Amino acid sequence: MRMTPAVILVGVLSLLAAIALTMVYWPYAQQDRTPSEIFRARTAEEEAGRLIYIQNGCVYCHSQSIRAFDWDMGSERIAQSGDYIADEPIQLGSQRTGPDLSQAGGEHPDDWHIAHFINPRYTRPSSLMPPFEWLGTERIDTLTRYVQSLGLKAADRRMERQKHWKAESIKAYEAGVEANARWLAEQVPEGWRSIPNPYPTSAAALQRGHRIYQYYCIGCHGPIGDGMGPAQPWIYPPPLNFTTLTGREISGGIIYYQLMNGITGTAMPYFKRDLESQKIWEVGDYIAHYFINQSDANHEPRGIDAAWEP
Amino acid sequence: MSPAEESTAHGNQTAKAFTLTSAMWFAFATTFGMIAAGYLVAPDFMANVEYIHFGRVRPMHVNAVLFGFVTPGLIAAAFYYIPRLLRTRLYSERLGVFSAVFWNISVAAGMAGVALGYSQGREYAELPWLVDIMIVISFGLVIVNFLMTIRRRTEPILYVSIWYAAAAVVLTACTYLLGNVVWKPDTGALAGIPDAILLWFYGHNVFGLLLSPMALAVAYYVLPIATRSPLYSHTLSLIGFWSLIIVYTHIGTHHLLQVPVPTWLKTISIVDSVAMVIPVMVFLINIWYTVKGKLGDVHADIGAKFIFTGTIYYFFVNIQGSMMALPDVQRITHFNNWVVGHAHMGVLGFAGVTALGGLYFILPRITGRPLHSRFLADFQYWLVLIGITGFSIVLTIVGLIQGQAWYNGETLYRTLPGLQPYFITRLSLGLLIMVGAYTGLYNVARSLYFNRGAAA
Ligand code: HEC
Ligand code: HEC
Ligand code: HEM
Ligand code: HEM
Repeated sequence: MRMTPAVILVGVLSLLAAIALTMVYWPYAQQDRTPSEIFRARTAEEEAGRLIYIQNGCVYCHSQSIRAFDWDMGSERIAQSGDYIADEPIQLGSQRTGPDLSQAGGEHPDDWHIAHFINPRYTRPSSLMPPFEWLGTERIDTLTRYVQSLGLKAADRRMERQKHWKAESIKAYEAGVEANARWLAEQVPEGWRSIPNPYPTSAAALQRGHRIYQYYCIGCHGPIGDGMGPAQPWIYPPPLNFTTLTGREISGGIIYYQLMNGITGTAMPYFKRDLESQKIWEVGDYIAHYFINQSDANHEPRGIDAAWEP
Repeated sequence: MSPAEESTAHGNQTAKAFTLTSAMWFAFATTFGMIAAGYLVAPDFMANVEYIHFGRVRPMHVNAVLFGFVTPGLIAAAFYYIPRLLRTRLYSERLGVFSAVFWNISVAAGMAGVALGYSQGREYAELPWLVDIMIVISFGLVIVNFLMTIRRRTEPILYVSIWYAAAAVVLTACTYLLGNVVWKPDTGALAGIPDAILLWFYGHNVFGLLLSPMALAVAYYVLPIATRSPLYSHTLSLIGFWSLIIVYTHIGTHHLLQVPVPTWLKTISIVDSVAMVIPVMVFLINIWYTVKGKLGDVHADIGAKFIFTGTIYYFFVNIQGSMMALPDVQRITHFNNWVVGHAHMGVLGFAGVTALGGLYFILPRITGRPLHSRFLADFQYWLVLIGITGFSIVLTIVGLIQGQAWYNGETLYRTLPGLQPYFITRLSLGLLIMVGAYTGLYNVARSLYFNRGAAA
């Protein structure tokens, strides 16, 4: 084959045209524009927040693309093409330095996000996300509107829930320490309330609990458990001061349940994905032992001793 | 005067200008890379400096690398070998120098745009609309110069390097326009899943229709000369060329295997990703047989040494790439630093190292004097080689840690503390590469402008 300029140019250009037609134009022309069941249009403010998201490169750390085998945040729903029809540009992402945000809307109340944008380590002590305090309050609010819309109709449902319980928790908090502690305990289902922490307190377990506390809780509840972590100024109702729980018969079961499920409406997140059972019991006993100063670890009823107990 | 001497006498201004461009942006781009890597080690360091915040400096890094360092470096070599191979003079040195200046203005404008927050938020297509147009004009100026030089050739036969260089710039101008959706200036994007398909068609063509062919062209030119051997096979060159154009353009969707795109597209992209072994092995067999038994010569020429190293990285990055396109493998490797490792192996280990080789090969020839310092060039070679090899190892390991942990149900947050040692290692290795880049800039600038070496 003799390669003349004409052969090269005509050859490669017609190949490119043919391939672009089949590989790009054809799927474009054939695309399914049917909205998925969670789809809704975004409000103007949410679109403005999305622009902040695009311009500041959130996409380099956050995907919006849930796969069939994911476990982390948002994995209750696998992404469908109908979720994306209004996304221009689409922000699927190619790197997960941070979690997928497809369904981030309503996972936390707004105050959690504000504190998190000011400095992610306030709410998530070992986060790698850089702080966005420099965006200023106005842009942080707009950005939060967008994040809270992620998941569209599913996010709206979660936001309804957040708003409802936000009002309830504020009411309880403003009714005073005593009433708040009672309200918090009452939200835990009956069965859980009567369960003591089934495992004995030990120096090793407290050590492990301490480490978990450092990685997950310290930014809100503070190093001495008084609720004065660096996130405190942005969070309302403020992070619980554990010392106020002394003498109120807070069982290991209550603490376990609150950690597992979080307290929707307040900034207190759920930890059921991050921590498995042993870790929840151990960090629970850590706060009970050191901050509440009352631990029911290993009290009756306790059943058969666990095989690993010394 | 022979055409070659005449050309040297005329100063090779264009090749020199693109050489300097490349060396300069290599230094800037690695600086941006260090800042990005720094954020991943200490996110509160430089916390509130808006213009170099992670989400802005990362696209600055990637675009500076692609359009500031690697592409101009490969183009510099092309401006040297095209007239030589065609036994003529460059169509216009003035146009060439102008294109280099305009090129720099475009890349700088792109950096400023992204730094100021005008990113369009599509990976590899971030640059704002106006800059997109400027980049296409830059390519257009280079195309005119290439094609007009081909028109006035006195050598009837076009060598394979010419095929690749001409095809690369022409095709890239087209896919760049298409991929950046320039007909929609406000968003620069389509809506929904088709946007992703178009983006990765274009994104992969940056590696497949720009970096790879331009780098192969340099290897095809330099290695036979450095080893004084004829090219092993013309037939293999032909197969390699046409299969590269056909196969590479089909594989963009392998970036979207876990996304709801049509299954037939995924199937084609997977099959063709595996079929990539054809153009790759055809090229490697051709070039490795050409230099067979002459590794001493390769070693003796610093340019050839870089380029031969680039071919080895080409082998690894492509074998790895074909593997990553298999859905079972991608379940682990997607979304984590394994891909970042692959990206550095490809764009730095293969294309970037080849571009550096091209620069060092042409520098003595365009200035008519020896390199300012062969020692510094060797020093840079080792810094870059250790850096990129370290990157490959560290990022692959950390990618496997992330991928396995996620696949087994660990939350991402839990894996974060474990990443720190690797990110710190990456930052340290990056320092080697960055020092290498500044060393190179010094050496190139001295060789070009303050060269006290005796004229050859
Ligand atoms: C350097 C990478 C990086 C960048 C850039 C980044 N993030 Fe993050 N992000 C993370 C990491 C890591 C986490 C997980 C730890 C945490 O929650 O802070 C995270 C967590 C989050 C979460 C909380 C998810 C949850 O647990 O509910 C939100 C919301 C979020 N990021 C939004 C954003 C937005 C919006 C931007 C852009 C303005 C952004 N991020 C930029 C890395 C990043
Ligand atoms: C983002 C801030 C934040 C983080 C992080 C956080 N908490 Fe909380 N926590 C709160 C808030 C806010 C409340 C509820 C305050 C209220 O309603 O009065 C709360 C309530 C609680 C309660 C409820 C006590 C009861 O009586 O029901 C427990 C227990 C608790 N946190 C433990 C933890 C532990 C352990 C961790 C770490 C694993 C943690 N929290 C992390 C903010 C946080
Ligand atoms: C046989 C050839 C190749 C194949 C089959 C291949 C395959 C792939 C695949 C499957 C991905 C996506 C990974 C993922 O997101 O999970 C990828 C990403 C990438 N490849 Fe390759 N690759 C090849 C060669 C190259 C070469 C030669 C280069 C550079 C010149 C390169 C540069 C990149 C880059 C930069 C990315 C990252 C894209 C991103 O930002 O997500 N690849 N490659
Ligand atoms: C000083 C040396 C360097 C450092 C510290 C560095 C660091 C980085 C970092 C931190 C990222 C972002 C990764 C992430 O999001 O997790 C990145 C991406 C990238 N870098 Fe570099 N880099 C360096 C040099 C280079 C060079 C010389 C090249 C090419 C010649 C290059 C090409 C790329 C590419 C193509 C990407 C995008 C990867 C992707 O999207 O998957 N880098 N680099």
